[in-house]
Amino acid sequence: MVDARASVLSATARNRNASLFRHDRIRALAGLFSMKLDVRNLAKGVAGIAAAILAWESIRTLQIVDPRDLPSFLAILQTAFNGLSGGELARALLATLGSWLPGLLIATGIGIAAGIALALMPRLEVATRPLLEFLRPIPSVALIPVALLVLGIGLQMQLFMIAFASVWPVLFSAKAGVESVDPRYLETGRALGLGWAGRMLRIVVPSTLPFVATGLRTASAIALVLAITVEMLTGRPGIGFYIENVRLNGLVVEMWAAIFVAGVLGYLVNALFMAIERKALPWSPENRDR
Amino acid sequence: MTAKRNHIAPFVWQICTIAALLALWQWAALNHPAPHLPTLQNIAAGYLRLWHGDLLFTAIIPSMSRLAVGFFIAVAVGCVLGLMLGYLRELDPWIRPVLEYLRFIPAVAILPAALLLFGPTDTMRVFVIAFGSVFPVLLAAIDGARRVEPLLLEVARVERLTIPERLFRVVLPAAMPSIFAGVRIALSIALVMMVISELIAADNGLGFYILRNQRLFQTANVYAGVLTIGTIGLVLTLALLALEKRVLAWHRGWRGLANAG
Amino acid sequence: MNEPILVMDAVSKAYSAAAPILKDISFSQKAGEFVAVVGPSGCGKTTMLRCIAALMQPDQGQVLHNGMHFFDPPPWLSIVFQDYNRSLFPWLSVRRNVAFGLRDIDKRERDERVQTALQAVALEHAADLYPWQLSGGMQQRCALARSIVVQPKLLLLDEPFASVDAQTRIDLQDMVMDICKKMSLSTLLVTHDIDEAVFMADKVVVLSTRPAHVVEEIAVDLPWPRDQLTTKESPEFLRLRHRVYTLVRHQAQKHAGANREELK
Repeated sequence: MVDARASVLSATARNRNASLFRHDRIRALAGLFSMKLDVRNLAKGVAGIAAAILAWESIRTLQIVDPRDLPSFLAILQTAFNGLSGGELARALLATLGSWLPGLLIATGIGIAAGIALALMPRLEVATRPLLEFLRPIPSVALIPVALLVLGIGLQMQLFMIAFASVWPVLFSAKAGVESVDPRYLETGRALGLGWAGRMLRIVVPSTLPFVATGLRTASAIALVLAITVEMLTGRPGIGFYIENVRLNGLVVEMWAAIFVAGVLGYLVNALFMAIERKALPWSPENRDR
Repeated sequence: MTAKRNHIAPFVWQICTIAALLALWQWAALNHPAPHLPTLQNIAAGYLRLWHGDLLFTAIIPSMSRLAVGFFIAVAVGCVLGLMLGYLRELDPWIRPVLEYLRFIPAVAILPAALLLFGPTDTMRVFVIAFGSVFPVLLAAIDGARRVEPLLLEVARVERLTIPERLFRVVLPAAMPSIFAGVRIALSIALVMMVISELIAADNGLGFYILRNQRLFQTANVYAGVLTIGTIGLVLTLALLALEKRVLAWHRGWRGLANAG
Repeated sequence: MNEPILVMDAVSKAYSAAAPILKDISFSQKAGEFVAVVGPSGCGKTTMLRCIAALMQPDQGQVLHNGMHFFDPPPWLSIVFQDYNRSLFPWLSVRRNVAFGLRDIDKRERDERVQTALQAVALEHAADLYPWQLSGGMQQRCALARSIVVQPKLLLLDEPFASVDAQTRIDLQDMVMDICKKMSLSTLLVTHDIDEAVFMADKVVVLSTRPAHVVEEIAVDLPWPRDQLTTKESPEFLRLRHRVYTLVRHQAQKHAGANREELK
């Protein structure tokens, strides 16, 4: 009986290795060919971007909007570049990342711990369900005034807001991850003599990771929105404050440049977590057909 | 007997948790008075004040109407554009890079620009709400339209449906489950954008109400405002789920069968 | 007068130069005739059907409907696909699925025609159910009703009985033959089932393996109405069945032989 289970487990491990290997090979092949195959799509994409820029410029030149409010795309790019190479924009960007990352880390820690606890202790889950169901749908930004009352203006308050808003996707994905662990794996682990801690570390955590990685990607975007919002509202240094401040001072080009950079930041953050997701779950079906 | 007890027990537990938390709050508010810890009756009074009289017309209704218009625009634009992009696949590579950039702009960052272009007006707030919530709908509609069973499109061709007819009678219903999933995400984003747009440069609405009371240190009203926004979010989500249940009745049965088979 | 409703004139189709699917397929179908096309599985029958329906254009040769060339399915053509669970609209009730192709006519006439079609396939009792609530045979009858409600002149059947159990298949065969005779439809049945082809058709067209071409056309003069027992026990049926079976098996063996050659 035990032997049968052991062989099931090692078979799964073998399969996983095999699919890892196959996955890498497929990706290597795709990398070789995609360069060639995608040239046409790349050209279309560039044309699309060009069309968007052209539309922007024509809104300007046709004076649909006051051209003073809508600087040329080239000017925006140039200002963004200047601001990033040692200017104020670079400092603002770093300041935003400096509150975004710790806030997200706090949310990740609390979210994973709470998610696993809720999944493993059904009583706790039942007892806290009304509280969670009550807190979750409140738009987190509505709590900014409350946080201001309780914590005042400062890094503490900003971190609290970022962590509060971004904890939910991590928490619920971690919970879903633990709940999705096939009980047969746990039985197999027990049959192989793994203790509670061993089962947690070697079965529950690895099967939960892919879920958490997906939740983390959502959380990272929410954390960024909250970091920027708090900066805008409370004047904490960062890209949000920078955008609002240059607007108030009538520095239109600087404002658009900062918004452009914020978009690039959002894109890169997503790309980063997408890469983490792929690393965390190379065997997931979602990744195989990529 | 045991079955009955098992059924009631979670409910009792939940009531106890809520009661304990409320009691703790009230105890703290009475024994350690602090500006950020108003008593429950004050919060309740503030909450009730919001739902009738002047505040209903200066806080809740302006917020709700901007939310409604912005959200409606987002859903309409997202669906129409998404279905077309998903159905006419050749368009996708042209638009995808621009779309991929736009969707990752943190929506708040667009707010100062909207303020510059439209001024502190309702147009600005509706624009910000629509901009923030259009992308989940758009992407879900593209995805749904792409996954339409090709055989159904062939049936439509054999029945000689025109392209608008195919979009409306085949692609739209087939994409509906996906669209609803996107709309649910869009609703929560729309609520966030509604509040943010009222926290900055507004003279009415719930966000403005909360911020003003925070500045006046009317903390009970701040909590009441947050509770009201939570209530609105909850009610709208439930309404959306009820609508989804009706519209997608076919989908649950069909999917259930697919899973079983 | 009796101009063919369908003419296949040297139709060829290939997805790539290395893999031709159809090669010089020629045959014709008279109005009111029931033609069955049989061939080894995977020989390109579905591709041929899509060319006939003008869902796809052949590379060479012509598909003529009443002497005309079409780029979209001709208005008098209807199809029943093999995968009933994918070809019915899951969000429409049986009644609405059947009414799908009926547009631009007033509601009363539409209701009447839907009712008639539902009666013809014995589904009146299930009119308000959704496809997922029906058995496979009922779903296929629903698809059949949707095809005949538009009163087509040419009905294409793409292995319509392949995914149902044996008993249901027999019932469906009788039902289809009955409907086609009553409506004097020209019917083109694509199948890999030799018994079915000989039993139902006026003419059997035997295709080769890929690239498919017509090996032989065999006229079936079995008397109408046909009966699952007496017709299938008649010496004439057995003789025709033997003939078609030999041709198809010969093709399949040639194919297997070619595969072995390739492996060496």
